[in-house]
Amino acid sequence: MDPLEALVAQIQGLSSSSADIARLHTILKQSDDSLRSNSSRLSPIFSLIDPSIHSLGFLYVLDAFTSTSVSNQQQAEELVPIITRFISGCSVEQIRLAPEKFIYVCKRLKDQVMLLEAPIRGVAPMFTALRKLQVSTEHLTPLHADFLLLCLLAKSYKTGLSILDDDVFEVDHPRDLYLYCYYGGMICIGQKRFQKALDLLHNVVTAPMTMMNAIVIEAYKKYVLVSLIRHGLFSTSLPKYCSPLAQRNLKPFCQNPYIEMAHTYSTGKVADLEAFVNANADKFESDNNLGLAKQVVSSMYKRNIQRLTQTYLTLSLEDIANTVHLNSAKEAEMHVLQMIQDGEIYATINQKDGMVRFLEDPEQYKTCEMIEHIDSSIHRIMALSKKLTATDEQIACDHLYLSKVGRERQRYDFDDYDVPQKFNI
Amino acid sequence: MDLSAVTAALESKSYEKIADICDNLMLQVAADGAAFHNDWPYAIHLLSHFYVHDINSARFLWKTIPSSIKESNPEVNAVWKIGQQLWLRNYGGVHEAIRGFEWSQGLQDFVAAFSELYTKEVFQLLVSAYSTITVEDVALFLGMSEEDASSYVLQQGWTVDYASRMLTVKKQPVVTEQKLDPRKLQQLTEYVFHLEH
Repeated sequence: MDPLEALVAQIQGLSSSSADIARLHTILKQSDDSLRSNSSRLSPIFSLIDPSIHSLGFLYVLDAFTSTSVSNQQQAEELVPIITRFISGCSVEQIRLAPEKFIYVCKRLKDQVMLLEAPIRGVAPMFTALRKLQVSTEHLTPLHADFLLLCLLAKSYKTGLSILDDDVFEVDHPRDLYLYCYYGGMICIGQKRFQKALDLLHNVVTAPMTMMNAIVIEAYKKYVLVSLIRHGLFSTSLPKYCSPLAQRNLKPFCQNPYIEMAHTYSTGKVADLEAFVNANADKFESDNNLGLAKQVVSSMYKRNIQRLTQTYLTLSLEDIANTVHLNSAKEAEMHVLQMIQDGEIYATINQKDGMVRFLEDPEQYKTCEMIEHIDSSIHRIMALSKKLTATDEQIACDHLYLSKVGRERQRYDFDDYDVPQKFNI
Repeated sequence: MDLSAVTAALESKSYEKIADICDNLMLQVAADGAAFHNDWPYAIHLLSHFYVHDINSARFLWKTIPSSIKESNPEVNAVWKIGQQLWLRNYGGVHEAIRGFEWSQGLQDFVAAFSELYTKEVFQLLVSAYSTITVEDVALFLGMSEEDASSYVLQQGWTVDYASRMLTVKKQPVVTEQKLDPRKLQQLTEYVFHLEH
């Protein structure tokens, strides 16, 4: 009997109980090499086994089948439906027995749909795959970044947002987190959710790092620009918990034009900033950040109007136009109106006198809605603090950590020495 | 391709749900590997994003539409014209774009519903942003003739000064629920407990 046929028979026979599957898993591990060497003969098997019943076997065969390089579109066209069918049907328990194979197969799907120049075909399957693989919503799988990448390429930004609301607590590989946060940041930028984008990019920039990498540098560039849009300023000093490597090296990498743009921004002159962006347009363009840089320029008008609300109670539209360098009172009125619409300022425009009256934030923090909002925030913070305590305790009991801390203490903690050395006679 | 969910939502006038239905359906159809671009209801899909104020998603959708469809389907272009005006916040231009096309049977009601919603929202914006405003501007913002616009806002309690053609906006008192649930007390107890432990 042909070894392949025998294997198919075993896959068919040993896929019902968990004991059977464990046995099948051992067999599959042993025959992995022979599967790979026979990868060209595997395609008929897919019609013999069912992805939902024989998930583990299907996965091993699929893994071997996809391990040969697929370079032409026709092959990809055959492969994509098989993987898609497998992802939608496969049983969660079985694929979690061989997660690295499942991840590999899904990543191959990503490659194939990109080869076909149809990233949108991978979005829904990748989402299903990610949900099947993850143990909880806090688990960041290696598929997260690929899913977000497909969303970006397929321009389904809204779909990408759906997983960005999950709080991440567990990460398999650091690279997953870098890419997840970087792509996530880009998705949020596209949807103009700048605060969330800033948070995600901040996570990339401040993540622990032992070697400089391109993801961090690109994230830092966007971080500078988004920070200017969102907060109107950029502080070049990174927080203390940031890796020393990032603190030392990021700024020099992004000095021109990013850090310099932040300097130009701080002068508050729109004309200067615009000239700066135009002068450096090719640099921004080559980083694919030109659009974002232009948004920084237009956000400056808003920033300057917002600044006026801190000084004046009423101001004529004419004066607003002059101070923030807009061409006419009408243009100033439109800017103010847009900002009111977006809830960025509180003001009323009086067309009769051509005046704007700036108001206080009408929120008095006593409506039921606001209380609900505050409540939910408190709940989130409480959950977070509990989690932090638990993690702290866990680390405090960690053997590796304790042995390291113990050693360092011997070296540094002078209180441990009973007899001060310098009084030795 | 099964568009019955979209049709059903259109018929039941649950317009705010259409964007999500279309988005999910599109991903599903694409995952099945079907060539869907030519039959996809792009006009409805775009409009459904406008309806829930998600102009960004509409913009990204527009970018994915194949150029052959952009060239051959005038209605999709007409819907996108509304989107462009929304993007530019050219309030008058939105109304113009809505009026400037003979909408097909399937889209008429949806466009009308969007137009009504948009007018209502712009009116609310005027209420919150202006204390006085000219009749001319109100007509532009609401996309009506000056007579219609003044009678529309006068009904809402605004007053008009005919000499200067200036309208005075009447702010609507905001009614908010302030009564507290006794259960909140229990929650406060829990907070204090958390802080002390």
